[in-house]
Amino acid sequence: MNNPKLLSLNSTTSLISRFTRGFIQALIRINKQRPVTSSSPREMYIRHRRIKSAADKSMALAVRSRRNWSRAVLARFRKKRRRHVLVRRITTCAMKKRGLENKKSGHKEASHGQANELRRLVPGGEAMDLCSLLEETAHYLKCLNTQVQVMRCVADSYSTI
Amino acid sequence: MMDRTIPEMFHCTDLTVLERQKARLNWQQEHLQQQQQQSFFSELSGVFSSVPSYQSGGGFISGADSELGEVLARAVKPDPGLENGWSDMGFGPCGGYGSGSGFELNYTLSGTSSCPPSVAAEATVMEVKDKMSSAVGRESFKKRKADKAQCPKVVDKDNTKEKRIKGSAEEGDSKITEQNNSLINRETSADTSKDNSKASEVQKPDYIHVRARRGEATDSHSIAERVRREKISERMKYLQELVPGCNKITGKAGMLDEIINYVQSLQRQVEFLSMKLAAVNPRLEFNIDNFFSKDVFPACAATFPTIGMSLSAITDSAYLQFNPANQVVSCCGLDMSINPPDMGLRRTVSVPVSIPETIMDSSCFAQLQPPSTWDADLQNLYNVPFEHGTSSSSFPFQPYTGTIEGSILKVEM
Repeated sequence: MNNPKLLSLNSTTSLISRFTRGFIQALIRINKQRPVTSSSPREMYIRHRRIKSAADKSMALAVRSRRNWSRAVLARFRKKRRRHVLVRRITTCAMKKRGLENKKSGHKEASHGQANELRRLVPGGEAMDLCSLLEETAHYLKCLNTQVQVMRCVADSYSTI
Repeated sequence: MMDRTIPEMFHCTDLTVLERQKARLNWQQEHLQQQQQQSFFSELSGVFSSVPSYQSGGGFISGADSELGEVLARAVKPDPGLENGWSDMGFGPCGGYGSGSGFELNYTLSGTSSCPPSVAAEATVMEVKDKMSSAVGRESFKKRKADKAQCPKVVDKDNTKEKRIKGSAEEGDSKITEQNNSLINRETSADTSKDNSKASEVQKPDYIHVRARRGEATDSHSIAERVRREKISERMKYLQELVPGCNKITGKAGMLDEIINYVQSLQRQVEFLSMKLAAVNPRLEFNIDNFFSKDVFPACAATFPTIGMSLSAITDSAYLQFNPANQVVSCCGLDMSINPPDMGLRRTVSVPVSIPETIMDSSCFAQLQPPSTWDADLQNLYNVPFEHGTSSSSFPFQPYTGTIEGSILKVEM
């Protein structure tokens, strides 16, 4: 019990640096590929989506596939890239099945609706029981916090240039 | 014989001298109630006059060294047979007294003798926290069991008194259980090892046992459900520390609501920040190469005050957890010399759950510097706001050392 705590301690400190590096590299790549030419809403929206996904992806990459939620995010990106309809159909089927199982097993919970809501928020949370869901939520919250901090500082640095 | 059994109980359960005297006083009071059997007792005490010296010697040794006491107790353990011998011998001459009174004395005394173990176990749980307590608990239970086994051997008739003894024994048991509930796995394992020994003589102290308390269901499903609920509540507590403003909310539903809101707000913040990043037009073409060397670090330097501020907020909220944590850590430091490290380890882990975050957050300042090559003046730049942040938030420096000590302790363990 002690060792994982220490490990997570070390990994979280390096997690910030890893995420920062990955995110900034992704930003530079985005800016290179698609330099801001016009401020049309559509262009802005596309840029926003790309940056958002870059942030998510670099966060998940920084965590690596150690956690359920990061695995789910990475799988989503992989899926998006491949765009195999068949694969998607299969996985959605699997997801539906798992969801049904969850409904069966967790109907006693008083906080059922809220748990489901939390499942929707935490990536990969659809297939988790409440116990692991809460654990993942805790880790996800920490990562989101660091993400917000780093992104804020990057945005500040951009706006001050 | 009763005189013999009681000191042995005390001796085995490793009482302090004071406790022993108290219990002995108790026993004497009990004895005074049976004045009609005074002569009988005096006879017996005459027989037992040789016992106390041995007993006190054993007690002294056991007081001096707990483990030695354990060994000694084990060495003495064969004594129940001896006791039986004593009882036979004692009851042989006392046949004239009438079996009823003799048995009554026996029962009352065994009742009292089954009560002290709870006290003894309590005292020992307080004193020698971990392993010893399990050993003692087991020992005391064995004793108790021996007692119980012994009594029916002598008499099989009186069921009510037997019940009373059992009740008192159970009371002691539940007392120990209650205490153990506050303590951690190890004790529960000891407890359940007792339970196990009740069911079967096999004792597996390395298992993580879950014990059903009085009135709780004992089938595997409900035990598993209980374990699950405990896990969930533990995680909820952990989340409660993570989510700001969640401390005041009681109830799982409210907490979940708050957690959901917090996650949503963070996700929206990410969304907003990415929008902001998309909106700003960073003319990076000319200084992409310089970006890492220059822009990132001012950015980081700019962050650190903000992080420092948020950190101070975090630490302020975590400050309440800091102090007990420190105390616990120091306590562990004190106990460490006595206890087997297993217990202290679990202590440090289970109680200050919030420490890793705070250490993480605070140490990120120190640990971020080496990988990213900072300029010296940047470091200075950064150090100043950090100190400023700490001083403004009146963040005491002592907790840091305390937690560092804690972490060192953890590492050592």
